Amino acid sequence: MKKPVSRRVALKSLGASVGAAALLPWLSEEGVQAFVSIQQTAATPQPRVLSASQYAALDSLVEAIIPADERSPGAREARVSDYIDLLLDEGDEALRQQWLDGLAAMDAEAVARFGMPVAKLPAERLDQLLTDASRNEQQPQTALERFFVLTKQATIAGYYTSEIGIHKDLRYKGNQVLAVFHGCLTEDGQDCPHCGQKPVPSSDRKL
Amino acid sequence: MFQASTGRQPAADPTLTLDLSAITAESRKQADLITPRSGPWDVIVVGSGAAGGMAAFQLATAGIKVLLLEAGRMIDVPKEYRTMEWPYQSLRRHRLPPDERPLAIAEYNFVDRPYGNDPRFANYKKLTSYAGNAFTHNWVVNEKEHPTTGTPYAWVRARVLGGKTNFWGRGALRYGPLQFKAATLDGFDVDWPIGYEDVAPYYDQVDRLLGCSGTMEGLQQVPDGVFQRPTKLNCVEVSFKRAIAKMGRHFIPGRAGVTTDGVLHNKYRSRCMARGRCGRGCDLNAAFHSPTALIYPARDTGHLTIRPYSIVSEVLLDEGTNKASGVRVMDMATREVMDFRARVVVLGAGCLDTTRILLNSKSSPYPTGLGNTSDALGRYLSEHLMGIRGSGFIPTRIGTEPTIDDARPVGPYVPRFRNVTDKHPDFIRGYHFQGGGGAGEYPGFATTIPGFGKAFKSNVRKFYPALLSLGGFGEVLPVKDNRVTLDPQVKDAWGVPVLKFDFKFGDNERKMARDMADSLEEMLRAAGAEDIRITREVLPEGWSIHEVGTARMGNDPKTSVTDKFCRLHDVPNVYLADASPFVSGGTQNTTWSILAMCWRTMDFLKEEIRAGRV
Repeated sequence: MKKPVSRRVALKSLGASVGAAALLPWLSEEGVQAFVSIQQTAATPQPRVLSASQYAALDSLVEAIIPADERSPGAREARVSDYIDLLLDEGDEALRQQWLDGLAAMDAEAVARFGMPVAKLPAERLDQLLTDASRNEQQPQTALERFFVLTKQATIAGYYTSEIGIHKDLRYKGNQVLAVFHGCLTEDGQDCPHCGQKPVPSSDRKL
Repeated sequence: MFQASTGRQPAADPTLTLDLSAITAESRKQADLITPRSGPWDVIVVGSGAAGGMAAFQLATAGIKVLLLEAGRMIDVPKEYRTMEWPYQSLRRHRLPPDERPLAIAEYNFVDRPYGNDPRFANYKKLTSYAGNAFTHNWVVNEKEHPTTGTPYAWVRARVLGGKTNFWGRGALRYGPLQFKAATLDGFDVDWPIGYEDVAPYYDQVDRLLGCSGTMEGLQQVPDGVFQRPTKLNCVEVSFKRAIAKMGRHFIPGRAGVTTDGVLHNKYRSRCMARGRCGRGCDLNAAFHSPTALIYPARDTGHLTIRPYSIVSEVLLDEGTNKASGVRVMDMATREVMDFRARVVVLGAGCLDTTRILLNSKSSPYPTGLGNTSDALGRYLSEHLMGIRGSGFIPTRIGTEPTIDDARPVGPYVPRFRNVTDKHPDFIRGYHFQGGGGAGEYPGFATTIPGFGKAFKSNVRKFYPALLSLGGFGEVLPVKDNRVTLDPQVKDAWGVPVLKFDFKFGDNERKMARDMADSLEEMLRAAGAEDIRITREVLPEGWSIHEVGTARMGNDPKTSVTDKFCRLHDVPNVYLADASPFVSGGTQNTTWSILAMCWRTMDFLKEEIRAGRV
């Protein structure tokens, strides 16, 4: 796990005075532990709302939406189902029912077409199921299509706010203590290796 | 209550549920210590944001005894500014706890006022404005305790030391001649009674005192300042800049009320370390926040007394001398009512709350409110038109490895280009765009990428470094009938009458919005952007949090509330320190102008006090 900058590290990197030390962030060890426990890949899920079979179905769906690939783990390892379970636990009854009905409809569709529930479907069958459910993503018509959009949005929210999504998949590099922000290197009169742009000749630049 | 209706306990989340007992206990102790007999004070300042903070700083550092009244509590800056917290540090990924919720965009227009009365919010203990989030929710007010009536209005208020400066957007732009002399240029309404030359020296001093990052551009629509090290444009922004330069438009580094080089004589602040999370409260205090930049240094002079939990309901008038004698305060928690006295009252509660206090200050000489002999009080409400925005993917960065693109206090800025030298056939005044691009922490655009699976995931990565998005800020014309009044029936949780809004965007704004959307699309096309998406609907009224004008300044007491030094025409010892005296709002974010105007007003007041005229 990438650790947040501790007070000590932040102080050191800043060369800050004692006066400034009092103003540095308060980082709670308990706070860090709380999310670690739910996100540790190996931890057994303890859903508050979903049954074991509902959790398994949801876990298959979110992993199919954002799967593991050569670059990074997918939604399963990022514990997106735990995130959604917490969302449901704290949401209202209508939201819970919407999800439970959606999961039931997906399972019913899987059984009707392939004779087994979502959690047991081989990858290509699950892919077929979702390909059909995602057909009208812009304007979903059926219950299954609407549930696909709901699940996709929650998967995006859960995955790209996770450590895996932010650091391993997107390789987001900000939110660090930096001496200076550089931006496009053409701004400093150099060729920029990131975008291939050339600097404006100095004769054309304003002083 | 939410828990009662579901029988569920919310998950413990110590990063989100901060223990504020120490700071609330300290606030209580401090409030109890200060009674009307603790004085005397020379000046009472109401509010502790940009206006109240600057007023207190100017007066206290000049040796004048100040009582600062803040409606909320004190702030625990190191604990409450959670600048670098990752979303996965919170179980809820920075969602609010289950018994709190912000108003959604559509609800502003489709839910009746007061918003907090609607049954759909019955299960929530706290309903905030749209600005309520995991970082601000302890600061912004509960709409259930602070209702509004009348037309829809997204009124963002914060009751805590420092007010909205704890989470402001840091845009530090100057008004220029185009704003102060707008009426001369286009014939609409009236000019300000002062010009840019009157305020420019104060903008300079604000830049030097607080630190302002920017580049010298020589543009009359947004004058240059005394700048510290500027921010840089990232790759997609350079592409966009080069494309629109061919159209004669500028894309310049944003101007930020953030010290990038450090400031002198302030032990509470450090320079910017390019972390890019300023809106949560900058725990280095490189961003301007009123507590560390102004109030703590003012308190260190020994001339400033701060009383938290002090809700000011009205300014008290001595009818014999026609002068204000002080203010009436209700303690937020104990509800004890106290009258605090001083020689001068400075109101800096924010444009609309200052106006509300004045409207509620009724006496036989001023039956419709103090300062309202002109009937201009509460009228000419203006702010900025928002909602027109657009995005696209810039080809130079599609499919590239992400770089650090967001490590700066504000994104770049397209200064106003309409009605500067030309004359637009459809509308007067103008607009600007703010925005930026590149890799941000959260790829919000992912919901627009179709499909699922490996192709979806790799497409999110492919477009992630290439996004550019911009949003417009347009001038809203100040018109007499866009106004607030006191609601005759509805009161807030402390018994103070609430504001009734009668405020709607007009024809000029609608035509301007259309042109904003068209010009934004035109610029994104010029930059060769892919998958251009333009939002053409405006956001609800009030969204900009840039309200100005409800106690406008002027030379004629028959048509204006204050004189050119923001002093009430009616009563000579009441001064307005916030944006309520501004005659028009331009397109610029208001905070830097509030700070400069307040400094100017306080210089005048200091001289009045020195000369023994108050």
